Amino acid sequence: MAATAPTVSGTTTPSVPPLRRRRPKLGAYGLLVPASILIGVALGYPLVRQFVISFQEYGLKQQFGAPAEWVGLQNYTDLLTDSYVWTVIGRSVAFCFVNAIVTMVIGMSLAVLMQRIGRAARITLQVSLLLAWGTPVLASMTVWQWLFDTQNGVINWVLSHVLGIDSMAQHSWIIEPLSFFFVATVIVVWMSVPFVAFSIYAGLLQVPAETMEAAQLDGASARQRFWGITIPMIRPVLSIVLLLQVIWDLKVFTQIYVLQRAGAPTRDTNLLGTLIYSYSKEFGMAGALATIMLVLTLALTGFYIRQMLKEDEL
Amino acid sequence: MKILRFAAVGVAAALALTACSSGDDSPAETTKPSESAAAPEAATIKLWLNGTDTPDALREYLTTTFAAQNPGSKLVIEQQDWNGLVPRLQTALSSEDQTPDVVEVGNTQSATFTYAGAFSDLTSLYPELGGDKLLPGFVEAGTADGKVMAVPYYSGARAVFYNKDMFKDAGVEVPTTLADFTTVAKKLTTDKVSGFWFPGQDWYNGATWIYTNGGELATQDGDTWKGALESADSIKGLEQVQDLFKTATKAPADSDSNEPWVPFNQGKAAMFSAPTWARWSIDLPECNEGVAADDTSDDATAKRTKQQACNEEHTGVFAMPGLTADSFATAFAGGSNLGIPAKSKHQELAQNLLKIIFSADFQNQLGKNGLIPGNTEYATSMGDDVYAKAAIAAALGAKLTPAAENWATVEGDRILEDFFQKIATGADVTASAKAADQLISDALNK
Repeated sequence: MAATAPTVSGTTTPSVPPLRRRRPKLGAYGLLVPASILIGVALGYPLVRQFVISFQEYGLKQQFGAPAEWVGLQNYTDLLTDSYVWTVIGRSVAFCFVNAIVTMVIGMSLAVLMQRIGRAARITLQVSLLLAWGTPVLASMTVWQWLFDTQNGVINWVLSHVLGIDSMAQHSWIIEPLSFFFVATVIVVWMSVPFVAFSIYAGLLQVPAETMEAAQLDGASARQRFWGITIPMIRPVLSIVLLLQVIWDLKVFTQIYVLQRAGAPTRDTNLLGTLIYSYSKEFGMAGALATIMLVLTLALTGFYIRQMLKEDEL
Repeated sequence: MKILRFAAVGVAAALALTACSSGDDSPAETTKPSESAAAPEAATIKLWLNGTDTPDALREYLTTTFAAQNPGSKLVIEQQDWNGLVPRLQTALSSEDQTPDVVEVGNTQSATFTYAGAFSDLTSLYPELGGDKLLPGFVEAGTADGKVMAVPYYSGARAVFYNKDMFKDAGVEVPTTLADFTTVAKKLTTDKVSGFWFPGQDWYNGATWIYTNGGELATQDGDTWKGALESADSIKGLEQVQDLFKTATKAPADSDSNEPWVPFNQGKAAMFSAPTWARWSIDLPECNEGVAADDTSDDATAKRTKQQACNEEHTGVFAMPGLTADSFATAFAGGSNLGIPAKSKHQELAQNLLKIIFSADFQNQLGKNGLIPGNTEYATSMGDDVYAKAAIAAALGAKLTPAAENWATVEGDRILEDFFQKIATGADVTASAKAADQLISDALNK
């Protein structure tokens, strides 16, 4: 953004100063080169390739050398006329919003809590959050899977032996889709709360104490101060974090995949990520569905991103 | 993440494509070994074996024999995990630089690769490797459009392991018919013990009841495949399966056929069904000598031998009985095939390796290690103990999954896991079978 600004001023006064200004401009573009190459290779090329493949009949045969046939929109129409695909899209969007909102609420509460409690308690909380954030996904998934295990899981053991609910002794948590998504939500939220909590906490620290003090002197209650001053002031942080959550929760894969393999019914629990993965022998279809997912992500977040950019300009 | 990963596969595919079009002289195009050729150029070739089914001694035999017979060349064996094997092969086999030179692939996964043209045509080598004597079902699974692309490595027939003490306590004998099996399993079941360990997603074992009653998973009619779970014969088998799920097992419905010996060792199951090599995983508490696995002292070895003998004394094994006494059930055959990737640069050396694997010497060693060798002529090498007898009896009638090009999609979508799980949770058999058939037909005819 900033790099384009000098051009405007440069055209109006074509004298010596622009030359001096042009040099840093070239330098700035030069600095962009490594990042652009990296993004182009790591993101741009695969994206283009995915897009191209989505218009082809591209399966294993093609991967082993057979020519890929152009099929136009066939992959897209096949997918979009399949009611199952729509079920999965609906499921994914619902899962995404529930998770994003629950994560935001819990993250926000923890951030506020961090601000209010003493140093020792705060550090303990922060360290625990960091550990949850830092645990590799697959490692923590294994632990969660064991916790919820039907036969030997700690949760069933506590419910049946400690709390005396005998019917829970052999309860399967993942065999019913709703219960499956409850477990998945617990895990996904647990994994993403630390990021939200820390980001919002950082935002809260930026709220000037003087403003709060002034409001207090004016007789604003704690609730009024929170909703009237704190929230508007940290709104940019909240927007960005919520945006990221929506994107992440829409494309959730690992947690769902691992839970499915732990013994859940696959077809009833597929989300977009795992459904795309199941097309692992039909790259054309996988590419088309991935493109649909990209469009969906943009549709869900586009309005939001525009809003944020506008605020940025102000 | 997922998009990225897919894109990565795409990139790999793209690179593979360009690599293949630029190299006109690549051996991938000429799969026939040149008749006049002198010894092939010395090279290091890679063999991918999956899991730990092939014992170390056999691996060593392969590397040393290969080096001796092919001066200057070397064989490297890389072990792959069964889990996620198909996607890994998909990427590796399509790259001339990354591809192994001989690969082991699960028999039900073969069709995916043979139809895609991932393997070299072995039709001309087939007679030399054993021809008609090779396990016929496996050869069929490795054949595409009339060409033999993959050959049987070994088969592991399923047999039922049982706890002799529990049988004695319940006053039951080894069942003689499939119906009798259910009766015995019910008698053995208590609040805590499963008469038969039968987890809800275990369709590998569930298929036994379908096959034995004359049913099929899918049938072919001309060019189209059709799910066959709703046929009268299949339904009969599936109703017996549901009966077992309801009354003879405490195994969770959300679990699969992995490691059924764990509950058996814990005393939570009186019977389980698994390939006969499961005998090495049985570890009853009353027999455990507490030796560390990596302890190689004489004392430890002696204790281990004692422990194994004790385990086998308390454990019995039988082949699943058939519909009538003295007949055996048609079980699902596990096992694998071997193929030479079409993109391998060392076709001739790879064929030399296959010749070693199909030599009498190696086939007999497979048998001695409890694996049914690819060449049936050498099945006698399995010996005549109870394990071998059960294995051979079960293998005679064993059957594979339908040899459909897209069968791997059925497994990839976990249609049968979902289906058997539904049966296990008490869903209506006929309605569930109809729904599953529809999914199977859709997947196979894509």
